[in-house]
Amino acid sequence: MLLALPWATGLVKRNGPRPAAYFNLLLTMAGVIHGSVLLSWVEQNGAVLLEWPWFNAAGLELNIGFDLTLTNLAALEFVTIMSLLGQFFALGYLDKEWSLARFYALLGFFEGAMAGVVLSSNLFLSYFVLEMLTLSTYLLVGFWYAQPLVVTAARDAFLTKRVGDVLLLMSLVALSAWAGSLDFEDLYTWVGQVRVDGSISPLLETLIALGLIAGPMGKCAQFPMHLWLDEAMEGPNPASILRNSAVVTCGALVLLKVMPLLQLSPVAIDVLLIIGTISALGGALVAISQVDIKRAFSYGTTSYLGLVFIAIAMQQPVVAVLLLFAHGLAKALIFMSVGSVIATTNCQDITELGGLGPRMPATTTSYLVASAGLTGLLPLGCFWCFGLLIDGLNSSAPWLVPVVLITNGLTAFNLVRVFRQVFLDTPHPKTRRTPEVNWFMALPMVSLAVLVLLVPLVFRSIYSTPSLDTVSSSSVSLVVLSGALGALAGSLVPLDKFWSRSVLKPLRTVQDLLAYDFYTERFYRSTIVAFVGFIARMTDAFDRQVVNRLVNRIGSASLVSAEGLKLAVSGQTQSYVLTVLLAIVLLLSGLIWWRVA
Amino acid sequence: MLSALLLIPFIGGLALLLLPSSLPPTRMRAIALVFLTLQLLVAVALLIPFDPSNGGPQLQESFSWISSIGLDYRLAVDGLSLPLVLINAALTLVSAVCTRQISQRPRLYFSMLLLISGAVNGAFLADNLLLFVIFYELELIPLWLLIAVWGGANRAYASTKFLIFTAISGFLILAAFLGLAFVSGSVNFDITPALTDQLPVVTQLVLLITLLIGFGIKIPLAPFHVWLPDAHTQASTPVSVMLAGVLLKLGTYGLIRFCLGLFPDVWPLIAPSLAIWAAISVLYGSLAAIAQRDMKRMVAFSSVGHMGYVLLAAAAATPTALLGSVFQMVSHGVISALLFLLVGIVYRKTGTRDLEVLRGLLNPERGLPFTGTLMILGVMASAGLPGMAGFISEFLVFRGSIQAFPLATLLCIVGSGLTAVYFLLLVNRAFFGRLAVTPKSDPVEDGRLDVQLLPVAPRETVPALALALSVVGIGILPSGLARISDSATQLLSQLHGGLG
Repeated sequence: MLLALPWATGLVKRNGPRPAAYFNLLLTMAGVIHGSVLLSWVEQNGAVLLEWPWFNAAGLELNIGFDLTLTNLAALEFVTIMSLLGQFFALGYLDKEWSLARFYALLGFFEGAMAGVVLSSNLFLSYFVLEMLTLSTYLLVGFWYAQPLVVTAARDAFLTKRVGDVLLLMSLVALSAWAGSLDFEDLYTWVGQVRVDGSISPLLETLIALGLIAGPMGKCAQFPMHLWLDEAMEGPNPASILRNSAVVTCGALVLLKVMPLLQLSPVAIDVLLIIGTISALGGALVAISQVDIKRAFSYGTTSYLGLVFIAIAMQQPVVAVLLLFAHGLAKALIFMSVGSVIATTNCQDITELGGLGPRMPATTTSYLVASAGLTGLLPLGCFWCFGLLIDGLNSSAPWLVPVVLITNGLTAFNLVRVFRQVFLDTPHPKTRRTPEVNWFMALPMVSLAVLVLLVPLVFRSIYSTPSLDTVSSSSVSLVVLSGALGALAGSLVPLDKFWSRSVLKPLRTVQDLLAYDFYTERFYRSTIVAFVGFIARMTDAFDRQVVNRLVNRIGSASLVSAEGLKLAVSGQTQSYVLTVLLAIVLLLSGLIWWRVA
Repeated sequence: MLSALLLIPFIGGLALLLLPSSLPPTRMRAIALVFLTLQLLVAVALLIPFDPSNGGPQLQESFSWISSIGLDYRLAVDGLSLPLVLINAALTLVSAVCTRQISQRPRLYFSMLLLISGAVNGAFLADNLLLFVIFYELELIPLWLLIAVWGGANRAYASTKFLIFTAISGFLILAAFLGLAFVSGSVNFDITPALTDQLPVVTQLVLLITLLIGFGIKIPLAPFHVWLPDAHTQASTPVSVMLAGVLLKLGTYGLIRFCLGLFPDVWPLIAPSLAIWAAISVLYGSLAAIAQRDMKRMVAFSSVGHMGYVLLAAAAATPTALLGSVFQMVSHGVISALLFLLVGIVYRKTGTRDLEVLRGLLNPERGLPFTGTLMILGVMASAGLPGMAGFISEFLVFRGSIQAFPLATLLCIVGSGLTAVYFLLLVNRAFFGRLAVTPKSDPVEDGRLDVQLLPVAPRETVPALALALSVVGIGILPSGLARISDSATQLLSQLHGGLG
């Protein structure tokens, strides 16, 4: 029921934009309230599993199942609250948009899909709603479909995710065939069994596990499937808020749910670690060289989700969840404040911005709070997560500790760099007249800022173990040190135009490499895209030149007679009927003759 | 009851032919619609006496016709043919509804349409090999006429190609059936695996391969597909709807009913090669579709790809896969009909189907926003997105086949991924972007499209909307169709007990 609520909004699409938006907001609000009631109920009475049979035939049983556990419901609360704030924000941000209703309908669809992902109790339903998420992302990114960049962005978003989804589908089909059930609980027991009796081949195990990773990888914008998130920044900002906080969280939650299945294959765990590490460092590095204010932070998302991947690979699910929540809230806040900046200045290029601090106090404050929440410097959300993560890694894989620290440092560097350029600095032509945003945008922004500040308290109340107090002081100091170093570097680095694209060749090469995202897009274009295009053209040419021509040759004899037929095309109907009848009569008489003889 | 499904369209077709040709076309259309609605009602009414728990043929009707050669008029329906009969009735109605402004020989046109529908019903319901062949052949000529008389500029080439190919297909099938009767010494052309019981393996293989090629042309599977893109591009929209939605299903139906159903002994021998054939066909169709500029050709190649799944499912012959193949037939029928309808609307409004020319049709004021919305839905369904008919079909096929043929199944899943690629290209190129802007190398005069497109009247989109709703309906509530077909496909796969 919870799921159906946001979806219903598609119906009111035609009734003029505003009512649809309000209706959607109301429903989301109802979702939030319902979710919180449910949350407190489950807290008292324990988890509930809701299941309905969906499809049952040919020995195949597919269910719609919702697993109402504390974690899932907390995630649901997160998703619905984010969505509520995002929608409220959108009221202000998309004030003059003519197709506001379409936006809200899509957003409702989007939210429903996310709610489905976090609640689902079986892999089939997860896949089902993940694909819905892919579709709605495509439509949301492509919202302003008249712009060429948006078109490519939407296409890439869809196809990248689709690649992940198709790989996931392969695993899903294989699991369904070999394990017999797709409920997570059944799959867990099945994995335990397989590990004991080794009933399927290691190759198959590895492939299944890799396929399972691929789906979330696409959703979480991990290297090498990260490109779409960056391009998706062409879409409307309120959707970006959700994408960078809630969607990636959904992807990671799916990964968390399949985590026990990854035990099938050590290779998969290694792959997960490698991907996480590359994404964490690569994302952070690319982020610091972006001039587009949205892209500077979308790469940060890739980077943080890389850390989540590491946490999942190292079997620290609780840390992963905490990091997801802390990051999601803070990142959403960053995007709101960035959204305010864009809405006011109509500009996304940070080199053209400056001196907004005194003019837009609420936005600036939000930015600062979000930065604090995002980096490990002040004792807010991510700070504790990093502490816990490093504590865990210290014992199991110390070589990953620097990865976390460097990511933290680079993030701090990035945040401070952007802050200086956008909010301090001298006002530029585009930023001379910049009033604070209207209350539609300010209200969700400020409420979210309060939430970000409260994150440690929420952690404390929900999760008693591992307690935040157990974080060792050495980890804390490491985190603080890395954050402080990053922030210091960020505040010292020169920001003038000469420095931002250096005349020194080696430095410029590095800067370009990062600015163009390791040339990933170009790489794809010259490899995969070119390859598929080439094969497609080859097939087409083969089809035209070889198969078709061959057929025509063979048929040329009959074509001669066909020429005669062609002339008869618009002739009398009777003659056709006569031909058919004649043929039938001939056939039948032949048969009779054969029988008799 | 079953005979009514033949009689209604046949009588309707004849009645139309007998009407004076001075009657206005709209009147002709109205009469055809009455008959087709009646046919649809009867087809739906079949669901009442139909017993879903019985997997075998039921509601038989028979009288002996020319029994000296074993040609009996015997009809029966089962879980395999019932969904196809329903699709046929529904899509013929849709295609008649969307036939507007037919100025040239409306009488012949509608009677041919009715004739095709009746013949297809006959082929699906025939409980006798010869009877099947007769109906199978009977549908060729009217369709040939529909392409040849009401087709596009290059219609003579396309229709002749179509005729040659499908005539060969029919000939091969007839030859195989006659050969089967001849070597088995059977006298009554019953559809029963007992026919092949005593035959040597080689004989069976020869017959089976002849049949496979015969149906492979009709389905069509690569490399026998070359007639299809041409036929589609030259055929008018309603004819394309019939061709893709209904007539291709004759091939897949034959594949499952006769190839799979009559040769249980040798089927396992060739099943692995069939699975590979399926994978090749799927990839071939999908890759060729990516390179197409003409929307209709693209959708036509997508048919080649999607029909490959049915072959894969047939090769695996597990209950799940076979059920999936029925789903795939139905959903492909509905989805491709929907896509052709929408392409037809685009063509009528813009005068082109060239993806290099079309841009920004989603424009809410001057473009075709509603058509675009339905198109997005249609291509997503075709790409197998959950919540729509394509997904559950593909899932069942893959799920049922992966244990028997892992590699071929994985390749087919890749093909399903490629579907998303070319259809996304279609939507991105034709519907996204800016309406007025056209690229340099533009064959359309002035280098510019007419940027003020005529609005699409609601009645033009009603058939498409109905199809879109059923696509979503099947996707969200697949149990109904599963209930109809489950026992039949179970029974069929029991024949192949060992496999899968």
